[in-house]
Amino acid sequence: MREELLRSFVDMDEQEAVRIARELVETEGGAVAVLDTCKEAMEEVGRLFEAGEYFLSELIAAGDMFNQIMEFTLPKLQGEEVASLGTMVLGTVQGDVHNIGKDIFKVMAEASGINVIDIGIDVPHEKFVEAIKEHKPELVGMCCLITLGVDSMKRTIEVIKEAGLRDDIKIIIGGGRVSQAVMEHVGADAWADDAARGVRLSKELLGKE
Amino acid sequence: MAVDAKQLAAERAARLKAAVELKEPDRVPFTGIGGDVIAAYAGITSYEFNFDYEKQCQAIIKYVKDFPSDQPVIGMTGLGNHVASMAFSDYPDLYPIISRVDGPTNDILGVDYCRFPGRELDENSSPQFIGREYMSAEEYDELIADPVKFCFEKILPRIVRAFRDMKAPEAHAAMARLALEKAKAGAAMRDMFRQLQELGYAPGGLSVFFAPLDFIGDQLRDIPNLIKDLRRYPDKVKAATEAVLEPLLKVSVNAKGPGVETAMIPLHLNEYLSPALYNEFYWPTLKEGILRLAELGMKSQVFFEGRHDAHLETILELPAGWGTAYFEKTDVRKAKKLLQGHTCIMGGIDVGMVISSTPAKLDEYIKEILGEMMPGGGFILAPNIGNLPRETPIENIRAVYEAVEKYGKY
Ligand code: B12
Repeated sequence: MREELLRSFVDMDEQEAVRIARELVETEGGAVAVLDTCKEAMEEVGRLFEAGEYFLSELIAAGDMFNQIMEFTLPKLQGEEVASLGTMVLGTVQGDVHNIGKDIFKVMAEASGINVIDIGIDVPHEKFVEAIKEHKPELVGMCCLITLGVDSMKRTIEVIKEAGLRDDIKIIIGGGRVSQAVMEHVGADAWADDAARGVRLSKELLGKE
Repeated sequence: MAVDAKQLAAERAARLKAAVELKEPDRVPFTGIGGDVIAAYAGITSYEFNFDYEKQCQAIIKYVKDFPSDQPVIGMTGLGNHVASMAFSDYPDLYPIISRVDGPTNDILGVDYCRFPGRELDENSSPQFIGREYMSAEEYDELIADPVKFCFEKILPRIVRAFRDMKAPEAHAAMARLALEKAKAGAAMRDMFRQLQELGYAPGGLSVFFAPLDFIGDQLRDIPNLIKDLRRYPDKVKAATEAVLEPLLKVSVNAKGPGVETAMIPLHLNEYLSPALYNEFYWPTLKEGILRLAELGMKSQVFFEGRHDAHLETILELPAGWGTAYFEKTDVRKAKKLLQGHTCIMGGIDVGMVISSTPAKLDEYIKEILGEMMPGGGFILAPNIGNLPRETPIENIRAVYEAVEKYGKY
């Protein structure tokens, strides 16, 4: 059944994938199997996206399928040991209200085993600092789609430095406006303008790849 | 208009026209680069720029004087009011009143998706558009049956706070106040156009048209929902794109006037869709829209936002000389290889460079891009994104304009 779930998920057959997952989750050890299979499927979807075979429409549909399945799978995992690679605080920076890219990245990162704390859009600098203090993440992810957000990221990173927290975390930036030059300009550690690459780099920053 | 201003205006218009007609003009036409930096350059806040017509006008004139190009950079003032434009599409004379939401308009209407500097936002922020799901999936049939009626009766009350109840005095009062306010704004605009004419710019502007699927995604369903709809209710979505095409064309024609003969078509979902979805749900009604606009006497300027690489070839389905393809992240050199002799290409200046690079590097960069893009004509130089933030170094902007002057001659 795992094979079928994997195949229908990767082929974007939503109804079939959800149906199989519902059945599988009721079996012995099924919840873990569903979780692992869906993670594997998301990874495969990410690969197809990086290869140019899949598009954002598929990433969004896959993310939605993943969330739907997790809704009935996660409660069944209570008590099970679910390994987490680490924690990331993620938000779209001040002045920028685009959230679709961030949300796609979030699902893919979660599917890969990263525990993501989403602090929303148009996030003020101080809110990043507060979230870092509260959640003690290894990673901070910033999303930015508008040019004005570049300075926002720069200032946020400065404020994080001033709070004495910069050395405790790695910072990865993403969204349509980021590049190697922007990364250097704002003082981040990594950048990705596609979610699959972003997840790969996040795992590297966590020392898990 | 003084004689030399008139001549200058004619030269500029001819330059742009020649490029659209795929010819080599005397110089490469250059749209200029403006945006939030216009207010900063004049020493005013974004709040003042968005709420004070006179200050806005002075700021624009100052910028245009110091940074002349072939098109006046009017900046990004306000946000579109597209559902209202559709709801009132049978009243062309009202188009200038309801089509845009600027600061004062938003104070009167209270548009749900708008946030303005000095109000909800910091006084130096850009205005923000934050859409939501304004139409449920169950409502497709109503939209399809009569989009104008549906937008007026169902969507407008959800989007515009003053129109929550169209029968209430509040709604009528808002409409009357809007007309009074727009009369003030209109006078300021006329004054600005007069000053622009003296600087050698013919009066005019752009109309706007939307790919029908974008209208549904941005204004009604919200993009992630729409992407799911494509798989869940494909037939309804397709029927809806066909239903909204006519009223969208009507709105676009309502904006037509002296000097307004080009429809700007900003694309949003192009980058999201696989070629299969693009060709099934997006392109057919967009293509028909472009062809119909041509019949109605308008050229199209399509802004292919994001990466359009996967769909580039479909542009060749349009007749040669149909209009202008304006690119954001798609490499204009790559586009030129495919489209030369068929489509005028616009773009080429990476705004990120203008913000973070140096004058010397920008000089080199513009020289290079012009060297590659000018030969054979059919090219308009433009920023890949029309908005420079307030913090943009002025010496970098100057370097771009000087480089265009230096290297832009045919
Ligand atoms: C859809 C869209 C909108 C929607 C947003 C809907 C939403 N809820 O997000 C709406 C219509 C609301 C909108 C509003 C506006 N928009 Co807009 N929008 C776009 C558009 C077409 C697509 C953006 C998008 O979603 N891309 C798809 C996503 C999936 O890509 P992505 O964000 O890059 O994410 C991917 C990766 O980067 C990565 N990723 C994302 N986040 C992160 C985070 C981390 C840590 C990592 C590692 C990776 C990662 O994963 C994702 C999947 O691969 C772009 C143009 C374009 N095609 O890029 C313009 C664009 C971004 N918008 C633009 C503008 C100007 C605006 C407005 C100001 C317009 C206006 N005047 O109304 C307002 C926003 C105001 C504001 N202050 O933010 C400009 C920005 C210009 C600039 N440089 O300043 C653009 C570039 C359009 C343009 N060419 O002019 N917009």
